[in-house]
Amino acid sequence: MELERFSYDNKIVRNFGFATMLWGIVGMLVGLIIASQLFYPALNLNLQYTTFGRLRPLHTNAVIFAFVGNAIFMGLYYSLQRLCKARMFSDKLSKIHFWGWQLIIVAAAITLVMGFTTSKEYAELEWPIDLGITLVWVIFGINMFGTILKRREQHLYVAIWFFIATWVTVAVLHIVNSIEVPVSFLKSYPIYAGVQDALVQWWYGHNAVAFFLTTPYLGLMYYFLPKAANRPIYSYKLSILHFWALIFIYIWAGPHHLLYTALPDWAQTLGVIFSVMLIAPSWGGMLNGLLTLRGAWDKVREEPVLKFMVVAVTAYGMSTFEGPMMALKNVNAIAHYTDWIIAHVHIGGLAWNGFLTFGVLYWLIPKLYKTELFSKKLANVHFWIGTLGIVFYASAMYWSGIAQSLMWKEFTDLGVLQYPNFLETTLQIIPMYIIRAFGGLLYLSGSIIMVYNLVKTAKAGKFVSSEETEASAMIRTKDRFKKGIRHRFLESKPILFLTLATAAILVGTLVEFIPTFLVKSNIPTIANVKPYSPLELQGRDIYIREGCVGCHSQMIRPFRSETERYGEYSKAGEFVYDHPFLWGSKRTGPDLQRIGDKYPNIWHYMHMEDPTSMSPGSIMPHYPLLLSQKLDISTTPKKIEVMRSLGVPYPDGYENIANKDLKKQADEIAKNLNENGIATSSEKEIIALIAYLQRMGTDIKVKNVIGK
Amino acid sequence: MKLIKYFSKKLLFGLIFFILSPVFISVFAQGVTESGEIGEGYYNFIIFLFVLLVAVVFALLFVFGMKEVSVEEEDFLLKTVKAPNKYLQKLNQILTRPTPIEKESDILLDHEYDGIRELNNRIPPWFNYLFIATIIFSIIYFFDYEIFESSPSQIQEYNIEIQTATLQKEELLKTGSLLDENSVTVLNDLASLNNGKEIFTINCVACHRPDAGGLVGPNLTDDYWIHGNGIKNIFRTITNGVPEKGMISWKSQLNPKQIQEVSSYIISLYGTNPVNPKPPQGEKYSGE
Repeated sequence: MELERFSYDNKIVRNFGFATMLWGIVGMLVGLIIASQLFYPALNLNLQYTTFGRLRPLHTNAVIFAFVGNAIFMGLYYSLQRLCKARMFSDKLSKIHFWGWQLIIVAAAITLVMGFTTSKEYAELEWPIDLGITLVWVIFGINMFGTILKRREQHLYVAIWFFIATWVTVAVLHIVNSIEVPVSFLKSYPIYAGVQDALVQWWYGHNAVAFFLTTPYLGLMYYFLPKAANRPIYSYKLSILHFWALIFIYIWAGPHHLLYTALPDWAQTLGVIFSVMLIAPSWGGMLNGLLTLRGAWDKVREEPVLKFMVVAVTAYGMSTFEGPMMALKNVNAIAHYTDWIIAHVHIGGLAWNGFLTFGVLYWLIPKLYKTELFSKKLANVHFWIGTLGIVFYASAMYWSGIAQSLMWKEFTDLGVLQYPNFLETTLQIIPMYIIRAFGGLLYLSGSIIMVYNLVKTAKAGKFVSSEETEASAMIRTKDRFKKGIRHRFLESKPILFLTLATAAILVGTLVEFIPTFLVKSNIPTIANVKPYSPLELQGRDIYIREGCVGCHSQMIRPFRSETERYGEYSKAGEFVYDHPFLWGSKRTGPDLQRIGDKYPNIWHYMHMEDPTSMSPGSIMPHYPLLLSQKLDISTTPKKIEVMRSLGVPYPDGYENIANKDLKKQADEIAKNLNENGIATSSEKEIIALIAYLQRMGTDIKVKNVIGK
Repeated sequence: MKLIKYFSKKLLFGLIFFILSPVFISVFAQGVTESGEIGEGYYNFIIFLFVLLVAVVFALLFVFGMKEVSVEEEDFLLKTVKAPNKYLQKLNQILTRPTPIEKESDILLDHEYDGIRELNNRIPPWFNYLFIATIIFSIIYFFDYEIFESSPSQIQEYNIEIQTATLQKEELLKTGSLLDENSVTVLNDLASLNNGKEIFTINCVACHRPDAGGLVGPNLTDDYWIHGNGIKNIFRTITNGVPEKGMISWKSQLNPKQIQEVSSYIISLYGTNPVNPKPPQGEKYSGE
């Protein structure tokens, strides 16, 4: 058999590797800043660019798409070439992929800080960037499948199965969730509204976790763990079972983010049961990882790479057990909207994604530079600091989440809320916020130590950008298509594999989407619910721009403790004109759905200028700029037009007179403020925001009958 | 070392199973979620999570903190604690059914990817049991909620909760332990007035000034009252608010007892003559 000479592209791997480190540090630093803002609000700096609302999406996007994203590509480009015994399909495409992805990250960082956001979690980026992501993802796909097709290895290893599922599902998720109609260059409205938007968003959000943070990382684990431990994978059968079960079941579980909301009950039930059924398929990955280490545990004690991987895989197991538990309705009633969720995602993020990335980096960089790790000792220090950081982080957040939730729900013997003032519950958990930030600081410090260690390693070694190797051309043997090895047949047919994986993820998607979109009884209409006035619409866009949804929900669950505190529970029919929905997922501040008419205009005015003037001790950022900035009303006609095209019943031609109505309403609010001693003009942004806040939830509000 | 390891393992499993059981039992008992107090199951679950976290940390310490043990030592240790180990091994054998490492070559698959080999170990039976158990759970759950509708929908749950609370409230009003504007009385004891002062300082001073002399809201120390004087009127004004005039409703932020305390405190401020007060508003009431 003649051997073919070829080379592996190591340069692209190195580039993604250093991008991972860079963005990792940036993302964690932003995380540390926003964590500190919660106990030291002055860090918001009274600038709109640095408020919590705008930095939080920056943190999530940076760690998910920049840190983890680059790490996926680093590991994938390294392992795919070797598992296929082929150089990447095209160096040019690799390069475009790399620089395209970095460009998207930079564009994301700039636009998010400037307030351009769709407000949909982990999909905040506006439509031009969405298009860019689609393009880069397609290029990545061509490059990946090109490599797979020209492989010298007949069968696809399990890691590649996970890469294939990742690619196709992320593509479907991103495109479906990002269908939006542009209003201007950096502003758009999603075509979905209210309940439907919520379902699509959390189908996306949940599966972004599944197919961006989980499946590609399982792929990495299946390559780097056996490589580092030098042990065979424990069970090939288990790989097959847990792979297919995982991708088929995962896609259904999105509605567990919307338990006890206005989402129809049947969809919630599906969310619950498919989450529970996820335990075993998820644990399949952990089992195969940990059992692969059978006979290599002595190495684990020695080797920092393996230590990181073991903690990562263990944390993956914990997280994927906790997740289904939190998807049970009675547990979710406590956990939802609280820091418990933050704890949960950080077990996944810091330990599973973070530690696996670190493990891969510690293994890979010395390999790329043909040298040994600069300092094993520093890597061990990193390991312990990081672990300690996670423990501090998680225990503080579990504690604060559960404590606050119980305070929200507590009634006195007399049947009234024990803590009627929301702020009181916030102030109770401030010490936990400090401990959390300390944990984050430890974790970040560890990462900085790693970067130092790896840069030193790189400097000591010699980088080979093209690694020469040789292998024989692919020899096709016929796979007998009989029971027991049927899957083997599939592993040599990448396109068929892709098709089946796509089918697996589409089943759950269609079963949940079609009824929600087509069956009218799922969203009962409410006659009183009317479209927003032009001023309210503009105010709503300010609410979106400032990222208010990051801390304030607009979804009152049907619990006595919530209706007592906030007012009537939310109904599906109230959100039919909400493009996008703003239900939120976290209550750092109180729910705002029934805020309308609750406080006078002047209260909102003063509260925005300095929240502590109305709520002493409040940790909300100050928004003095809203008081001085002029509202841009040139966009009103276009906004009305786009909304109408999405089915919001503004009359024909209304866009031409919309600004007249807008000014009239603004004048009324300004007049009311003037009468109360506030000197302001009707052209300020604050007026629009007040208009929106005063409108919220009032369509079906039962007015308070005031004595006398 | 082995002994400690063995016993800590046993203890841990025991704990986990003990704590886990009520969680599963309480899954179907959702009707009681919010009516009344929160069930025991939740606390257990929370404790369970903590234990899990701590357990993992300890497990890690164990794995990484152990000293190197030579083969002879290991053999010796294995012999000394042989009996319990046999059980564990048996359990492990039943639940996981791994092929022993020595016989690994029998199940090593013939392919190899960049040096990575794969074993063809059987899927651990306990994994299968777990998977099947969750599927059975899910089918029962689905039928329970969606086909037979034997467990309440979320709105039914809510209605039950509200019904219970309404009955409770009626009972409390009857016995006089729940205050409303008809049953409220002025408190004169120092503790209550101090509480009232604290509530006033936190919530009211933004509009009424720390000395109650009036700012956005009216002076509360003079003879003039817009919405009536006396404990009953003040209690009602604070509870329901007068939103059109800028006074918000406090009933969602203060409980009736707190409103009683702050009302009493306000009454205690009568005639304190703060410096530079807001001009009188409302009607004049003589006396208190």
